[in-house]
Formats: sequence, structure tokens, C-alpha cells
Amino acid sequence: MVENNLLSLIIFAPLVGAVVNWIVGGRLKNETFSGLVACGAIAVSTIVAFMIAFGIGTPHTGALFADKPVLDQIWTWVNVGTFRADFALGMDRLSAIYACFVTFVGLLIHIFATGYMHGDKGFYRFFAYLNLFMFAMLTLVLADNYLLMFVGWEGVGLCSYLLIGYYIKRDEARTAAKKAFVMNRIGDWGVLMGMFLIFTLTGSLSFFDKNVDGVEVQSVFSYVIAHMSADPFTWGAIVAGGLTSVGVLLFIGATGKSAQIPLLTWLPDAMAGPTPVSALIHAATMVTAGVYLVVRSNAIYQFAPTAMWIIAVIGAATALFAATIAIAQNDIKKVLAYSTVSQLGFMFLAAGVGAFVVAIFHVMTHAFFKALLFLGSGSVIHGMHHEQDMRKMGNLRKYMPITFITMATGWLAICGIPIFAGFFSKDEILYKTFAADNYFPQRPFPGEEFLWVIATFTAILTAVYMTRMMIMTFWGKERFHDALPGEEHHEEHHDEHADANTADDDDEEHHHALPHDFKPHESPWAMTVPLIVLAVLSTIGGLVGVPYAMSSLFGAGDVNVFEHTLEPVIAEKDEHAGHESSASEKKEVKHFFGSETKTTAAEPAASEAHSPEVIAKERGLAALSTVLAVIGIAIGFALFYKTPLRKMPKILEEKWRLDEFYNGYIVDPITKLSTTGLWKGFDLGFIDGIVNGIGAAVAAFGNAVRHMQVGFVRSYAAVILLGALAVIGYFIYYGLKLIG
Amino acid sequence: MDFINENLLTILILLPVFGAVGVILHQMFWKQESQLKWLTFGLTLVNFLISLLLISGTKTAGTGFSFEKNVPWISAINTNYHVGVDGLSLWLVILTTFIMPIAVISTWHAVEKRPTAFYAFLLLLESAMIGVFVSLDLLVFYLFFEASLVPMFFLIGIWGGENRIYAAVKFFIFTALGSLLMLAAIIALYYVHASQTGLGTFDFVALTRSIELGHLAFTGPLAVTGTLMFWAFALAFSIKVPLFPFHTWLPDAHTEAPTAGSVILAAVLLKMGTYGLMRFNFTLFPDQSREWAWLFITLAIIGIIYGALVAMVQPDVKRLVAYSSVAHMGFVILGMFSFTEMGMQGALYQMLNHGVSTGALFLLVGFIYERRHTRQISDFGGLANVMPIYATVFVITSMSSVGLPFLNGFVGEFLIMIGMWKSTILQVTASANWNYIATMLAGTGVIFAAVYLLWMIQRVFFGKVTNEKNRSLKDLSWREIGLIAPLLFLMVFMGVYPRPFLDAAKESVNAIQKRVMHQAGGEVDHAAAVDNKTTEPRSHE
Repeated sequence: MVENNLLSLIIFAPLVGAVVNWIVGGRLKNETFSGLVACGAIAVSTIVAFMIAFGIGTPHTGALFADKPVLDQIWTWVNVGTFRADFALGMDRLSAIYACFVTFVGLLIHIFATGYMHGDKGFYRFFAYLNLFMFAMLTLVLADNYLLMFVGWEGVGLCSYLLIGYYIKRDEARTAAKKAFVMNRIGDWGVLMGMFLIFTLTGSLSFFDKNVDGVEVQSVFSYVIAHMSADPFTWGAIVAGGLTSVGVLLFIGATGKSAQIPLLTWLPDAMAGPTPVSALIHAATMVTAGVYLVVRSNAIYQFAPTAMWIIAVIGAATALFAATIAIAQNDIKKVLAYSTVSQLGFMFLAAGVGAFVVAIFHVMTHAFFKALLFLGSGSVIHGMHHEQDMRKMGNLRKYMPITFITMATGWLAICGIPIFAGFFSKDEILYKTFAADNYFPQRPFPGEEFLWVIATFTAILTAVYMTRMMIMTFWGKERFHDALPGEEHHEEHHDEHADANTADDDDEEHHHALPHDFKPHESPWAMTVPLIVLAVLSTIGGLVGVPYAMSSLFGAGDVNVFEHTLEPVIAEKDEHAGHESSASEKKEVKHFFGSETKTTAAEPAASEAHSPEVIAKERGLAALSTVLAVIGIAIGFALFYKTPLRKMPKILEEKWRLDEFYNGYIVDPITKLSTTGLWKGFDLGFIDGIVNGIGAAVAAFGNAVRHMQVGFVRSYAAVILLGALAVIGYFIYYGLKLIG
Repeated sequence: MDFINENLLTILILLPVFGAVGVILHQMFWKQESQLKWLTFGLTLVNFLISLLLISGTKTAGTGFSFEKNVPWISAINTNYHVGVDGLSLWLVILTTFIMPIAVISTWHAVEKRPTAFYAFLLLLESAMIGVFVSLDLLVFYLFFEASLVPMFFLIGIWGGENRIYAAVKFFIFTALGSLLMLAAIIALYYVHASQTGLGTFDFVALTRSIELGHLAFTGPLAVTGTLMFWAFALAFSIKVPLFPFHTWLPDAHTEAPTAGSVILAAVLLKMGTYGLMRFNFTLFPDQSREWAWLFITLAIIGIIYGALVAMVQPDVKRLVAYSSVAHMGFVILGMFSFTEMGMQGALYQMLNHGVSTGALFLLVGFIYERRHTRQISDFGGLANVMPIYATVFVITSMSSVGLPFLNGFVGEFLIMIGMWKSTILQVTASANWNYIATMLAGTGVIFAAVYLLWMIQRVFFGKVTNEKNRSLKDLSWREIGLIAPLLFLMVFMGVYPRPFLDAAKESVNAIQKRVMHQAGGEVDHAAAVDNKTTEPRSHE
């Protein structure tokens, strides 16, 4: 067992930062101090995370290269009966990747936020929350068991709640905050039940085999691999209480946290929070926690084909659904929000077809380019004095060149233009969906072609809506002073805002009616530097995971570092052994999940991927998706370059009226039932009716019998006393009879 | 010191009684009303500090009682003043002594009429509550159980809100009805024990021993009597908890009670019900407890969901918190009746958590009521702008109530649910996993808790200040911060490091669990008992 107590520093540094900012920062109200504390705390986390991940200056090999996780036992949290959960951290290859990109992207966003939040009265509060979020997020990815992971899982939900509702005076912010928390909670229900079932099936909640204070703890996954077998690929498996049920329950949690169908509507609303929050929490890190959960539990999912199939289908459906909405939104952050939902769908699609590594690869590249796009939009919003409506922008590339260029790299990356980071990960997803039979544990995978068509179509849509966003923002004519349809009412509303705000001694970001000589301006260095760094990563960050089919084009051999790093995290299954192409080369595969080694087949994907026809197929598909990306961009220019304000279908603009559906068919009926049915009807009407009725009857009875005023209380009590005496009398009589 | 140690429980019970007398005398001779609260506060604080001695002195290994004291009281009916603590009652006693000083200071300015009586009642109430948790003689237990009713009746009836008479009467009738039935059962138990062993007794330890040795068993012709007695006890405790559908006294009592009353009611009085079920029903009637577990589990789940749904639509903050109590206590019942180690320990832990979190919520509601003299949610809005500290504390407390990890509520709810999940009590047939379904339904309570509390917070604290009267509200004073700080500390501490609490309670709770699950455990023993009955019928002489 490799231990390193520095691990806890990664999570506790941000916690200390949060506490210091809350207590000291709140008194000082000094932006430099708060900014330094917050960024410093994350910098410490980042440095330590990279040290341990890469093994720089540590006595052990870096977690990214080691066979065993680096552990850090802090204390035993709960230990009741056979149930135990440690407050303990563990960094294996998967959490190392997560820890590195979360801290690094987090650091950049913190720096960006010092510029973006400049002048905000709650500066210290904002950074305290942001640091607290980092604490929760890092706890989530570094936890060594499900229960502690759930602590982080709920913790990020809380911070998300606090940060979405950061502008507490805005109605939409407080509503969105509550909605986010509640929807996440619905998902959390699934995680909770999933944990119970895991514990029932395996007797453990630990991710890693370990020895704590002389007690051997077996991990969930090594137990599953050693003692359980795959569930049948049937609908019935979902309710059978086996691994498939676990898979589905955990995925319910993932749909909440990662905004998948049906729990997706909170994420776009969450854009009511400050833009750095949208970048950090609602694009790069927290929302990918669902993918982390699924990939972390891959040993379970490989035995639960039905659950995986559901994940793939929901992922693909969400990707398409969100993309269609993104194309019709006018708020720049809403476009990016739906785009995030759509990209998360891609990640789940990958995980669902069995390409777990690719899902994580896309998580990482997406973190780069989506954080970039969000921060870019933040820079635009900052430059536009908090105008978020793209209909009032246009031609910004003239005023904000750095923002334009950096955002353009993000745009090309998400569209899937080769070399840019998004290309490799997205193309891999499309390819592995197309060839899902090879990756899915229980082949054949039904409907793989259909899912591939959906995913490819969504990829084109992605290029179209992103191009639309870029055109509306950076090209065309300046529309800063144009009135929009329905604007007059809007303006009035703003005026009200302004009045109320001055009266309230306002401390929040709000819209100003733009002055007539208004010119957008480029943002300060604190904002542009993170943009540039992220732009570089969005451009070259994908090169760590170039698939063999492409690297061999340039004679580079197998350079898919990313896949090889994560391979050991993905549990091997015996089923692969029977596969034709790899049956001959059995070898010992070591994995994290057990000290024992199992005889399994060599990675079939790897060997298959290197056969000529497979390579040809993959290259062909890559070429196709490149062409489609270009077509998508071309469609975008054709449709929107001349008419950036083209009217979009109303149903898309209204997001398929999903919110209205939920409110009308779920929220309202429950509220109504609770008010009129349960509270007024049952409680006040029925139960209290009986109680009061008895009271009244007793009083009337007393009056009638005794012909005198008897107090309500007294007569009531008297009758009860009589009744009780009768019962006591019966017991005494009965008792005497027993003795006698 | 020896004297204190030997009579620790008696001191804890009597100190408040003498204190109450002292308060009255003080007022008679010095007429310094302003000093009364200091006097009461000092007394309760001293009582709390003394009670801390229990922690080190209570044996946590083994199952017996510590600090036992057994002196004859009325020898004619063989009733003794028998007190003692074990892991189950230890924390409840300390919760009581801990919450009392807080409750006393919570009404610093609010008591305008008859302060002498107010403080005297508070002290008498403390004495009765401690008595309930430590009595080991059923008759003595009953007396304390009833005695706790009287001060609370007056606290609500005299110092309550507008509708106080109705609320006080309802509270009294509901609980008195239940406890009278319990008295009947206690007397019956005396006779049944006399008939079986020749010696009537109210002594809990003696009764337990008789049951363990098989001298007292509610089988055969006594089965019906056993069930009746089980229900008499259970009804008294269920009303106190309160279990759905006996809960309607609670919202009224809570809403009308003064802050100190609400805090004590939520933190301690409700626990008397769950404690009683666990201590008396499970130990004395293990078979019946198992047999009827399904009904309690069903009612608990209904309570969890029902309480949450009704809480959601309450226009009054205090009523909302009261209904949330119904939901939370449902969890406690659920855990207890799972009859698993995890579930029962979780239930005990949740009793403490609920005391801390809900007590704190009522305290917080009291703070705002003192300022605005209203509790209607619609009268507020945007309070976070004018009272940032209050808002922060309120949000943290709500999160603890919602069950956010690393705050206390989570540990309890988690253990209860995992206990229920693993429970075998609902297994009628091997194929149907009713325990899963029960847990899944109860788990929805976790979602609803977030809905009703956050929705209330949204309307009360966030947004703009909509009501001009709220614009000049003062944030929490140092006294108020000092009041809530220990509760906040406990919320975090109990969430992060629950082991000292759980470990101390472990053996006692496990002993109860084993007794319920093993004694006449299932068909085998039951058949043996019946067999025993037919071959050599027990003579009743």
C-alpha cells in the first residue's frame, strides 16, 4: 500500500482558503487579499496534485503511472456493525487525471474571476464559496469509497446552490438555485439507493483494496470481479436487485448531476450564477461528476449490459435534444449551457457503449474548450457591461481581439476540426459508437448504427449552433443600441431594477442601459491570460490521446498516452477471452481492483484497432466527421452570416416546453394535493375533525346530562378519564382472574 | 465526590426541583424578576455540567446500567425508586441538560407575564424529562412521563400564542389519552408477572430478567394480553413521537408554544416516545414488536412523505418546521423497527440530531418572531440582505436538517436507511424485497426535505426586501449568536466525527436488537414454546 499524507493537502488547502476568506476576508473586504488567498489555496492544490500524479519529489511512482493507488487514511468516519466508511483519500490513475485537470482549470478560472468579479461587494463571499466548491469537488474525485465520494457529490451540489444563487436579489437566480439543488437531490436519491445495494451485494463501499489499522478492506470492484457474474441483457435485470439495478440507480444520480434526460432543466437555468461559476462548475468540473461515477464503477457496469445500454441511449438522446435547443437560444450563456448538456450526452454515450477511456478523454478536452468558451463569453459579457443577449452584440472581434481569437479556437475545438482537442475525443466517441459491438461487454449492441446516426447528426448541429453563436457575437454589424422586439417593456423593467437597486445599495452585477457612446472594451490581463492558456490547451490538449489510426498516418506509432494510462482502471472481463482476434494471446493483466491477477485476454480493442481494415474504417469515419464538421460550419455561415437574427422555431426557443411540462404535470399537482388534499383535507378536516367532533359531542353530552355549563376541557378530560378507568378496571379484573 | 457519583442521577433530577422552589422563594423574598433568568440559567448550566460526569462513568461495554440507585418506595406494591443509565439513555439525558440552558436564554426578553412561574415550570420540566430517561421502574417512569406533561401544558397554555388554549388542550388530551392506556398496561403487567412468577413487580430490570429466563412469556392464552399491552405502550409512545396519524397535536402545540417550549418539545419531549418504544416495547414485548413492525414501518413511511408534503405548503415558518419534525421522527421510527444494528443505532443518533437541528430551527424562528411578531413566510423576503449572519446560520441549520453530508443529519439518516435496506423484518416470502421498497420510499423524504426547506429559504431570505418593515431588522445579537453557536458546533462535529456517540451507545442498542431478533426468534422457538405449553402446562399457582 502506497501512502502519501500530502493527498489530504489537496482537499484541505481550498477548505482553509474558504474559511480564511469567510472569516478574515469578510472583515478586510480587500479584493487583493481575498483573491490571493483563494488563488493561493488552489495553487497549492494544483502543485500537490501534479506532484503526486506525476511522482515529482515523492518517494513513490506518480499515481498516473503506478499500478497501485496512492492512499491517505485520515480517520474512520462511520463504523457500525459490518458497515464502515473511512474518511480516506485515494489517487489512482483515474482520479489523478481528474485531480490534475480540476485543479489546473480551477486555478485558471479563479484567476479569471479576480478580474471578472472586480468591484463586486461580495468578492470575499464569492471566493469563499468557490474555494469551498473546490474542496467538495476534490473530495469527490479523491474519495476512496462511495460514501465519501457522496460527501463531495452533495458538497458540490450545495456550493452550486450557493453560487447559482449568488446574486441573491435576482428572482431568477434564487429560483434556479433551488431548482438545481432539488433536481440534484432527486439524482442523489439514486446514488444513495445504489450505495445501499452495492453494500448489500458486496459488503463494502471501498474503491480500493486496502488495510486499515489491521483490518483488511476489500474493494467493491475486486469483490464484483471475483465473485459475481454478468447480469442477463434483459429489461427484467433492472428490477432484479443485482448489478444492473445498481447501475441504473447510480445512473439516476448521474443524470441529476450531469444534467441528462430527464433531469436536465436545471443546468441552463444555473446560468443565472456569475460566469466564472458557469465555467468552473457548470461546464468543466461538477457536471462531469456523473461521468466520473459511471467510469469509476465500470467494473459494475461491465456486468450490467442493460444499464450500459440505457446510459448510451439516454446519452445520445440528451445530446440531440440539447443541441436542438442550443440552436435557438439568444442568450450567449444559454447556448453554451445547452451545448454543455449536449456534450455531456456524448460522454455518456461513450461510457454506455463501453468506451470508458474515451468518455474521460472527452471530459478532459471538454473541460479545456468549454471552460475557454465560457470564460470567453464572460469576457464578452464583461466587455458589454453585463449584456448577455447576443442580439445586442455583433462585430465584437474589432473591440475584443484576444477574446475573439481564443474563443475561435474553442469554437473549432468543439466543432471537431482536426488538431484541435475536441476533434480527437469526439471522433473517438463517434467511431466507438459505430463499432460498439467491439466494446460493449455483451455483444451485439442493439441499435449501434442508429445511435451513431444520432451522434453524427448532433455533431453537425453542434457546428451549426456554435457557428451561429460566433457570428452573432463577433461578426456582422454592431447592434449595441438596437431595440429588440418587446424591448420597451424590457427597458421599463430595467429601470425598475435600477431604482430598486440604488435604493437597496446594490451590490450585484446588473444591466445598465448602454450609454449612446458605448464601446465594448477588451478585458484586463487577469481575464485574458487564462483565456490564452486554455486556448493553447484546447488546441494541443487532444494530442495526448491521438488514436493509433491517426498517429500511424504520420508514422508516429502508438502514441495514445491517454488510453494507455487509463487502461488499467478499466476492469477486464473474462468474456473478452473468447474473442477471435485475441484468443491466442492470453496474458496476465494486472488491474487495480485486486491484488490477484486474473487471466484475461489482451485488450481486444487495442489489437483490433491495429488491424488494417479496422484502421481504414476508423480513418474513413474520421475523414467523414471532419467533412461533416466543415459542412456544419458552412451551414452556420450560410444561414446566419447575412441574417444573424434569423427567426428560429418557437418550440426550440421555448426549449420544447419541458419546464412547463414538469411544472404543469408534476410540481403543481403535488402542491395542490398537499395543500387541499393532505393538509386541509386530511389533517385539518379528517383527523382534527374527529378530535374536535368528539370534543363537541362530549361537551354536548355533558350539557344535556348535567344541565349545567361544563367547560369543554373538563368534560373532555372527564370522559377520557372514565374511559381509561374502564380500561384499567378491565385489566385489573383480568389480572385478578389470572391470579385467582 | 463519591457522594455525587453515587447519587448523580438523583442530583440531576432533584436539582431542578430545588431550583424551581428556589426561583419561587427568590421572587417571594427579593422580588427581583430580572434576576430569575440568571438564576434559572445558572441552575440548568450547573445541571448540564454535572451531567457530563455521566459520560466517563457510564460503562459502554456490557449491557447493564450504570449509576444505578434502587431504594424501596412503596413496598406494599413492590415499587422502587430505581434509576440508572446505559448507552441508550446517556445521550438523551445529556441532550436534555444541554438544551435546557439554551432554552432558558432563548426567552431573554420574551417572558413578560409571570416570569416566576415560567422559570419554575421550565425547571420542573427538566426534572421530569431526566426522570423519564433514567427510571427503571415502570411506575416511576409513568409518573415522570405524566409529570412532564403538566409543565408543558402550562407553558403552551399561558405563554403561548393566540390560539394557545386550543393547542394546549389538544396536546394534553392526545398525550394523556395515550399515557393512561400505558398506565393500564403497566398495572396489567404487574398482575401478569405475579400470575406467572408469583411476584408482582414494576421493576424493568426484573421484568427483563423474567423474560430472558422464560418465566414471563406472552404466548398461548396470554398472547392476546401481550398484544393488548404492547399496543397500550405503543400507543402512548406513538402519540408522543408523534407517529402518523396521531401527529395533528404537534403543529398546533409547536406553533403556539413560546420559543423555549418549542425548542424543548422538539428536542426532548418527542424523544420520550421513541425512547419508550425502544426501551420498553422492544424489551418487554419482543414478539409483538416483530409482529407489528410492518405497521410501524408503513406509518413511519407515510409520516415521512406526508410530513414533508404538508410542510411544503405551510404558510407559517413554525408550522413548516413542526411538520418537518413529523417527517424526521418518521425516520427514527423506521430505523428502530428495522431491527438491525445500523438502523437502530442510526435511529438513536437521529434522535440526537433531530434534537440539535430542529431545536436550532425553532430557536431561529423564535429570533425572527421576537423581532417581527409574525411567522408568515409571505411577510418576509430578502432577509439575507438585512440579516446576513442570521441567514447564514439558518441555511447551515437547514442543511443539517436536510441531511447534507458532514452535518449531523446525514449520518443518522444514512444509517437508518441502510439499516432498513438490510432489514429482514419485512421478509414474508423470500422473493419480495419489501425492505428495498420501504427504503426507496423513505428515501424520497430526503428529496422532499430539500424542497420544503429550500423553498422556504428562497422566499424568506433571498430576493429583494419586499416588506418595508423588514428593512430595519437588526442582525443577530451576541446573545443570540452565543445561543446558536454550540448547536452549530454540534451539527458539524456530530456530522464529521460521530464515533464517540455511536460507540457509547453501541452495546446497549445492540443488546436490545439481539433481544428482539433472537428471543423466540422466528418459527423454531415459537414452536418450542407452544410445544412446551401443550406438554407441561404451566400452573398458575
